[in-house]
Amino acid sequence: MASVEIKGIRKLYGDVVALSDINISIPSGSFFTLLGPSGCGKTTLLRTIAGFHDQNAGRIEVDGKSIEGLPAYRRDVGMVFQDYAIFPHISVRDNVAFGLRQRKVLASDISKRVADVLEVVQLGAFADRMPHELSGGQQQRVGLARAVVIRPKVLLMDEPLSNLDARLRVDLRAELRRIQRDLGITTVYVTHDQEEALAMSDTVCVMHQGVIQQAASPLDIYLRPENRFVATFVGACNFMSLSKEGGQFSLKSSGARVFDAAGFNATEIACAVRPETLRVASGHVTPSPEEIAIPAKILDVSFIGREMEVLTITDGGEQLKSLARPDPAIIELANGSSVTVLVKRDDLAFFEATEVGRRVG
Amino acid sequence: MIRQLRRPDFWTVVTGVILVVLVVLLLIPIIRVLLLSFVDADTLKWTLGNYVEVFTRNFYLKGLKNTLFVGFLGTLGACMLGIPLAFFTARFHLWGRAWISTLAILVLVSPPFIGAYAWIMMLGSNGFITNFFGRIGIETPTIYGAHGIVLVFTLKFFPFVFLMTQTALMAVNKSFEDAAENLGCTPLQRFTKITLPLVFPAISTGAIICFVLSIADFGTPAILGRGFRTLSTIAFSAYRSELGGVPTMAVTVSMIMIAISMLALLAQRRILAKRRYASSLTNLPVKTHLTGWRNVAVHGFCHGVVLIAMLPSLVVVYTSFLKTNGPVFVGGYGLESYGRIWRTAPEAIANSFLFATAAVVLITAFSALISYVIVRRETTASGAIDFMMMVPYLIPGVVMAIGFVTTFRSGFFGGIGAAWLLVMLYFIRRLPYGVRSTTSSLRQVKPSMEEAAINLGAPPLTAFLKVTVPLILPGLIVGSLMGFITAINELSGTLILYDAGSITMPVSIYLAVLDGEFGLAAAHSTVLLLCTGVCVYFVFRFTENRNSAFL
Ligand SMILES: Nc1ncnc2c1ncn2[C@@H]1O[C@H](COP(=O)(O)OP(=O)(O)OP(=O)(O)O)[C@@H](O)[C@H]1O
Ligand SMILES: [Mg+2]
Repeated sequence: MASVEIKGIRKLYGDVVALSDINISIPSGSFFTLLGPSGCGKTTLLRTIAGFHDQNAGRIEVDGKSIEGLPAYRRDVGMVFQDYAIFPHISVRDNVAFGLRQRKVLASDISKRVADVLEVVQLGAFADRMPHELSGGQQQRVGLARAVVIRPKVLLMDEPLSNLDARLRVDLRAELRRIQRDLGITTVYVTHDQEEALAMSDTVCVMHQGVIQQAASPLDIYLRPENRFVATFVGACNFMSLSKEGGQFSLKSSGARVFDAAGFNATEIACAVRPETLRVASGHVTPSPEEIAIPAKILDVSFIGREMEVLTITDGGEQLKSLARPDPAIIELANGSSVTVLVKRDDLAFFEATEVGRRVG
Repeated sequence: MIRQLRRPDFWTVVTGVILVVLVVLLLIPIIRVLLLSFVDADTLKWTLGNYVEVFTRNFYLKGLKNTLFVGFLGTLGACMLGIPLAFFTARFHLWGRAWISTLAILVLVSPPFIGAYAWIMMLGSNGFITNFFGRIGIETPTIYGAHGIVLVFTLKFFPFVFLMTQTALMAVNKSFEDAAENLGCTPLQRFTKITLPLVFPAISTGAIICFVLSIADFGTPAILGRGFRTLSTIAFSAYRSELGGVPTMAVTVSMIMIAISMLALLAQRRILAKRRYASSLTNLPVKTHLTGWRNVAVHGFCHGVVLIAMLPSLVVVYTSFLKTNGPVFVGGYGLESYGRIWRTAPEAIANSFLFATAAVVLITAFSALISYVIVRRETTASGAIDFMMMVPYLIPGVVMAIGFVTTFRSGFFGGIGAAWLLVMLYFIRRLPYGVRSTTSSLRQVKPSMEEAAINLGAPPLTAFLKVTVPLILPGLIVGSLMGFITAINELSGTLILYDAGSITMPVSIYLAVLDGEFGLAAAHSTVLLLCTGVCVYFVFRFTENRNSAFL
């Protein structure tokens, strides 16, 4: 167990800035997830921590001690690779024992620790198999066992579940988290699957183009995104256009005043709202004081089992998506029927209208 | 704090060592040879006189013309056998297809000079075919001279064109041909307008290899040429006559040979640059069944070509078991020839194995390291190493050996024994075989394998030995075997470097042929063929794609 401090890391590939001024603090024993679209620099950051390449600037501290001078093979940072990287020419047992042998652990201890960790990942019966005799999920667990058996100070995992089918992914997700909790290893986990990130992490860190957008608890990331990129990348968002009179912004679609700010133009502010906070009612409805009513027409309703997805279009031509408990009264409405979309004022979020615009209200 | 450079580590040191070895064993000798060609033999002053002499004196011009003549015709002949053979085996169901490929590969790797003297035994002035037809009163054409050399080149080098074209043909997406047919092409038009252009890069690569090897070949024109001299025999005899002096004419002629090879290679690159076809293997070509006279003709052609090409080796093996008395065949069978090589030159056999084995140990070690640096390290140095691995293909053995003499027999390195020089020569000349095979193996291994080992605490060398090497072992073994085959068969460079204590089998064979000791030569050649065959067998065992292992 160890805490990790990442201070001012910068990494260039030629002219490409892969990481720019990354600052992260990971408390001991916690599960920290890097989440972001493809090419945002997640793998690069992980490989920097593992020591597979040198950063251009910045430092990394484990338990307050800089690990700069240590080559990759002496960093004591376990890694689970995206493609597992199980050595194909040696058995499962030898794969798992590899790191222990490098550390000159006594042979008797090695066999005990290997047996123990294989029990933990439920592969006790597979110790003498060769890697090609294992399924993808089993190989993935060998990779995990091999990384944790050396009791690394920090465990790195690069999209370890991305090569697996959806069902297995959900199962292994829980298993990974259980093992990590039991062993209490500080973990940095990389994924571009937001559901995975929210479900597993103590802290989710959203990255975009080599820059950290927000690092916070899953709940905060989802409910209180700090910028527009986080809001759109984690969970879905509807965007509504605003008009400005005096210092006040109102929704174009309903005329309701929603936001006071003198310093911005109407086009510089984006108003976002999550689909699951929108309520669709048929016909004309008078809103309660904390709600805003937006007149609209049904564009499409799809019933997807647990939920229904209602796509509406406002008189101004904006599309709004709503996600709600299935309601037969709505599902049976014909396309083009008049409805009212109701939204609570508190559920509206305002961002500067750039891609990574910060939250302004 | 901005750090641009990678921290130096184990591989930085390895890269440095490789660079030093390549510079000392490859670049310095070549540059010495190059510089020597600008030196006046008598005054030791800089001069262009050597080149002027080569380009004005009829003797050299004739040699140049002869070299180009046999080079072009030999290549043409190789294409004329290789392309149809490739097409037939790739597109028709043939009886004994694996057999044809295997024979072609055996031809490719059999000792290069065997062809020449085996043909003398068949068609020379006392050859058995000559004698046979002579007895019934028919005069057969002599094998000596240009046409004999062209014949031997054709039969010796066609496997390059064959194997490369065949590999390419089997990868041509059938949809292209289907589309052509759909657009109204007849089968012949389809072949000339679609298929042939698509495999042209492969054909031209095979042809270039034939050409470069023909230009550099020493044994064949030396044995068959009689009055017909090529640049390589001229360079060799110039070296011999300049012995003790400065071999300026020998190296100048050698430079011309290298220039021709490089020009050919550059021309091919230029032509190919405009033709890059991405091949996708979604729709593999299918083979059709032939019937009637076509079937007979195609079978006859394919089996005929490889059998005739194998003929020299068969003749050699057969001859080695003929009863001899001194250089004379006395009728009947016996093991006298083997007895004689055992009595007169056991050291040739021992030396050949010793030198080739020593060279291959080095080749194996360096191939593994070099391929790692080339594949895993993207630095200027690794690019330079990659490039230098092309050079030995282009440098004739005679040139490399003269470079070794001028570099290592005097001055700073002076006094290195002939045996060591031969091992170094085989090592540097055959290193690319090992590197190429190992490199393609390593490209199949994901870098995360080594990273995982390092991440688990293995230092770079340990990770390399415990994880990388086992994973590239097949490629390493195949490359080393190829290195061994080609090292043990090396003649032209050895002839320049060897001394009484370091004679090898190819040299013994060459000297025996010059003395008319065909039984002796045959016994030596059979030993060489045998160990070549054993190596080929093991290459087959360790490789999935048989064709590409030998190219
Ligand atoms: N070896 C390299 N050379 C040059 N550029 C690179 C290299 N590796 C990564 N990059 C670039 O750096 C950026 C970050 O890459 P990185 O692999 O860290 O992305 P990622 O977030 O892991 O993406 P993914 O989810 O697709 O794995 C990308 O723009 C990528 O193109
Ligand atoms: Mg990645």
